[in-house]
Amino acid sequence: MLSASDCADLDDAALARAVAQAPAGEGREAEAELCRRFARRVRLYGLRHLRDSHAAADLAQHVLLTMIESLRAGKIRDPGQIASFVLGTCRMVALDLRRTSARRSRLLETFGGDDEEAPPPQLTLDHDRLRECLERLPENERSVLVMSFYDDQPAAVIARELALSEGNVRVIRHRGLRRLRTCMDPRGAS
Amino acid sequence: MSATHSHPDIDVGVLARYWLGELDAEREAAIERHLFECATCTDALEALAVTAQGIRELVRRGAVLAVVSDAFVKRLCAQGVRLNEYRVPRDGSVNCTVAPDDEVAIARLQAPLGDVQRVDVLLDVTAGVPHQRLEDVPFDPAAGEIVVTPRIARLRALPASTALVRLVAVRAGRDEIIGEYRFHHTPWSELHHGE
Repeated sequence: MLSASDCADLDDAALARAVAQAPAGEGREAEAELCRRFARRVRLYGLRHLRDSHAAADLAQHVLLTMIESLRAGKIRDPGQIASFVLGTCRMVALDLRRTSARRSRLLETFGGDDEEAPPPQLTLDHDRLRECLERLPENERSVLVMSFYDDQPAAVIARELALSEGNVRVIRHRGLRRLRTCMDPRGAS
Repeated sequence: MSATHSHPDIDVGVLARYWLGELDAEREAAIERHLFECATCTDALEALAVTAQGIRELVRRGAVLAVVSDAFVKRLCAQGVRLNEYRVPRDGSVNCTVAPDDEVAIARLQAPLGDVQRVDVLLDVTAGVPHQRLEDVPFDPAAGEIVVTPRIARLRALPASTALVRLVAVRAGRDEIIGEYRFHHTPWSELHHGE
């Protein structure tokens, strides 16, 4: 049986094979490691496509469960293609959740309720530092980043609002993001 | 994915385009296939998502001084953010305060901007010297206003006072005043001390 440290050294395909080949009731460490690795990717996929942290969390739960059940049941012909399987499952489940999310929004609109967003990924952020770094940016970069990422607006929208070209908005946004990354993490930025 | 797995990293600009839905379906699918196999790029996308979330939270708390568009203010309003909004005519003044439940302060500085290439915003001008200068702010000339979101915590902390804000057009390196705006601030507690 694989230990947690054994599992950490395996690639995704080997982990998926370990789960698929484990006797009933075994392979828990491999399952946990596989779920840990894919949870972030699935959650990010969910945030990108569903724009809702609750729906993204639902997506992660559905997809990871499907992944493990399918591996255990031998339904995945080539466990080496586990990433493709998970991505394909994300696409299908997201379609369902998009409908559920629309329904949830309609219910909240009709009856009210707490729709506070949960913090999305696992990383934490120093908000004071982010504010300081934003304030160090040139004005146009700060404006474009704030207006783009406050509610995830594409360059076409920001360009229209600020009378700039889309290409110009992308260049400003790119520069701003790089500068922000350097300011937030001077060691990690290249 | 393994510790030794290597890919050329996806540039942060491309990740931003992916995150904001700017890529065509084919390119988006290729990026997603890559993301599902690459821990490094997943880390980078997660960092972008966290930054976006951080920006959202700072904006909702009125913690970012920025120049924005009228449409952006409308989006804030549509999402239920409590705005404290003052529209000031060119060379005009306004009496203002900040209520306890205000979340974002908005100053709309009206000015003719049709033939202006570059605008700087001079904040808290005292004896001709600004406390802060916002250089080359983005604006739509047709909008006829510069929209500023000051940090609301700073406004709350102000005593009763008047702040002078100036818009200048910068032409050939020289400032040309295009509008002055006076904000006569009274702390909320002073306006409602009897309540």
